[in-house]
Amino acid sequence: MRIVIIGNGVAGMEAAMAVREAEPAWEITLVSEESDHFFSRTALMWVCCGQMSHRDIEPLERDAYLRFGFRRVRARAMGIDAAGHRVLLAGGLEPLAYDRLLIASGSAPRRGPWPGSDAHGVGHFVTMQDLAWYENELHGGPSRGGGPPRPMAHLAATNDDSPYRFRESGAAMHGRLASKPAVIGGGLIGIEAAEVAVAAGLRPAFFIREEWFWPIALEPREAQWISERMGEHGVDVHLNHEVEALEADPIGAVSAVKTDHGRFEADCVVIAIGVVPNTGWLGGSEIERDQRGGIVVDEALQTSAPDVLAAGDCASVRWFDGSRRPEQLWYTARDQGRIAGGALLGRPSSYARGIWYNSAKLMDIEYTTAGLVSSELERGASWFFEEKGKVRSTTRIVSQDDRVVGFNMLGRRWDHSVLMKWIEERRSLSWVLPRLHRAAFDTELVPPLRVPGV
Amino acid sequence: MDQQGQNGLLATYREGWRNRGLLGIAISTLLITFYVVLYWEHKVEAHFGVAPLTALSESLGLRNRWYLYGFLYSVAMIAGAAFYLRRHGNSRYNRARISVNLAIQIALGFTLPFVMPLFGGQEVYFSYFWPLKYDYFYPQTLESLPLYFAVYTVVGSLLAAPVLALLYGKRWYCSWVCGCGGLANTFGDPWRHLTSKSERSWRFEKVSIGIVLALVVVTTALIAIDWKIGREHPTLHRIVAGNDWRDWSLKSFYGFAVGAVLAGVVGTGLYPLLGPRVWCRNFCPMAAILGIVQKLGRYRITVKPGMCISCGNCSTYCEMGIDVRAYAQTDQSFTRASCVGCGMCAHICPRGVLRLESAGRRRLSVLDS
Repeated sequence: MRIVIIGNGVAGMEAAMAVREAEPAWEITLVSEESDHFFSRTALMWVCCGQMSHRDIEPLERDAYLRFGFRRVRARAMGIDAAGHRVLLAGGLEPLAYDRLLIASGSAPRRGPWPGSDAHGVGHFVTMQDLAWYENELHGGPSRGGGPPRPMAHLAATNDDSPYRFRESGAAMHGRLASKPAVIGGGLIGIEAAEVAVAAGLRPAFFIREEWFWPIALEPREAQWISERMGEHGVDVHLNHEVEALEADPIGAVSAVKTDHGRFEADCVVIAIGVVPNTGWLGGSEIERDQRGGIVVDEALQTSAPDVLAAGDCASVRWFDGSRRPEQLWYTARDQGRIAGGALLGRPSSYARGIWYNSAKLMDIEYTTAGLVSSELERGASWFFEEKGKVRSTTRIVSQDDRVVGFNMLGRRWDHSVLMKWIEERRSLSWVLPRLHRAAFDTELVPPLRVPGV
Repeated sequence: MDQQGQNGLLATYREGWRNRGLLGIAISTLLITFYVVLYWEHKVEAHFGVAPLTALSESLGLRNRWYLYGFLYSVAMIAGAAFYLRRHGNSRYNRARISVNLAIQIALGFTLPFVMPLFGGQEVYFSYFWPLKYDYFYPQTLESLPLYFAVYTVVGSLLAAPVLALLYGKRWYCSWVCGCGGLANTFGDPWRHLTSKSERSWRFEKVSIGIVLALVVVTTALIAIDWKIGREHPTLHRIVAGNDWRDWSLKSFYGFAVGAVLAGVVGTGLYPLLGPRVWCRNFCPMAAILGIVQKLGRYRITVKPGMCISCGNCSTYCEMGIDVRAYAQTDQSFTRASCVGCGMCAHICPRGVLRLESAGRRRLSVLDS
């Protein structure tokens, strides 16, 4: 049996390992344009500042391909010939024949819609090549941990449209490192890019279109705290700024960000306005995609083409609320990878998405969330407590018709699995509050959260 | 403010002296030279006619070179603690641990042993136990110790240390009390990312630490037997203890190979090249015993299910070379014999996935059950 997997990220690798575990003799080929090794994309920021090396963010040792007998192809996939069961490759490479195919090509950064978005010194912070670009801007190159092995191996088999192409740094064009970085986009990648610039000793400008930071997850009081911390760390936060254009100097390097509030000088701009399914390369292939570009899959992650599955960020799956869209999370990609691995083995099962949960770290503030926490939730009522003592934290519990449906916690550590259990059990706020300590996951010696009156 | 996680990003791999560059090699060479001179100063003196460390200690009023060593050790720990607390002191666990470590070194590791002889007492170290301080269990040493201390060292080594390790894990000793651990976690902290995480290094560790443990048990036992019957068995006495301190014997071999070379020259001298826990991880017999006890006790690292993003910060900063990520990303709470409970994995985890626990009652998390 010939298995081909496009993408060696968490979904693709998880599936490959599942197949290998059950079938030691099957031929498994992993196609990756981006890198030789599976790495944790969530960890790019730590490589950039020098907290980790490239090798450190690879969850498997570097002999993994050899040990598991995976064949590696470093090339850009250019389409699927579904009828002929072949993957087309760039660079004039022979098409890859498959018996079963998994598409796990992940996300690509959403490109800037503004004039000047393609100027030199403008980039994203999503791919390995984005990391190389940003390292060049801030530090002039990789840390002493070294760069990834064979960074150029895909260049013979790629095209200009690829999210994995290298960008010229403004630093190289000017002959000096970036000194006035700017970040556009008020989400997680944006705050990471800003934090990395702070770590390089710079004062980044952070342009956010919305009224407050990260409105899909935070309400104003929570976002206010994060903005304060960003300011204290040296980020210039500009809320309510609609970017209009990026200006370039005569040599073609970015020189300023123009917003509806004026012109701000910048010699390096990170566009972090979200990600889109990395499926542009499927244009012309007979595989159904939704209007966002996500590959439409059924519960077993089967696409519209026979013997073709999709998993991870590129797959448009059914959410718990019934809507259909891609889930751009690490743990969902991993879970889908496992399901896809089973399907590749001919043992399909259903991917069922449970209650939403996630965590993040916003500057130095830890964030845990579970369930529905939108401030615009219908008939939603928020219970909010701000702790301002030796430990600073906020706790927000959202109820709907007197049952708890969501938790949004900043500053302390919580075991989301307990919070999710309470949501499933449809507990009331008055039941949850006195038992909140049972979900605490604070480090030893940290004084417990005390809610007055409870 | 008490925070639980890392505040501000680290620039570890962008600092030359921390990454096996020329400066790292130079620091390592300096440390190794220092230890060689410290342990074999009589040979240096025989060759060059000077005993540099003894001369320096006398000019500082420190009686002999071992007090000079204790003094430098304390200074290195103070400087390292400042480095450590500047980066990680925002967490209460880290502050408490490093403060206790430093206090014990200054009080029990240097001041008390220095002061006791002034009042006619014997110089003893309350913070070291058998088998790390192997000679405390030699019968002739036990005989010469004040009775209260002989009782302290026997009860401490055979009862208190293992019981505390059952209750709290080996961290109570290796990360809070022990001087070797104290130096590793302060002066050695800048190099903690250099500890190898490879499976090969794990296989090596299991064999090497077992060998040293066996060696210390055999050596101590034979020295006790020799003490009892050595006079009637001259050959046994010659092999175990030697007739003269210059003789090669089991006792002098252990002192040389383990006490001087592995604990000092290799254990500390290679900080800048192999990370700060080379001795603790691969050779320390005390760590070996407490590690076995730890596996049977209450201590563990609990993993919050489904939240790990496989970033690898935990593994990168594990000074014992444990691939913490391998457990975290598969939702396995775990107890590893080598874990010294420094708490760095839990501290640096950007998703708060890990927690050190030694509580008796354990709350079952939903996805576990």
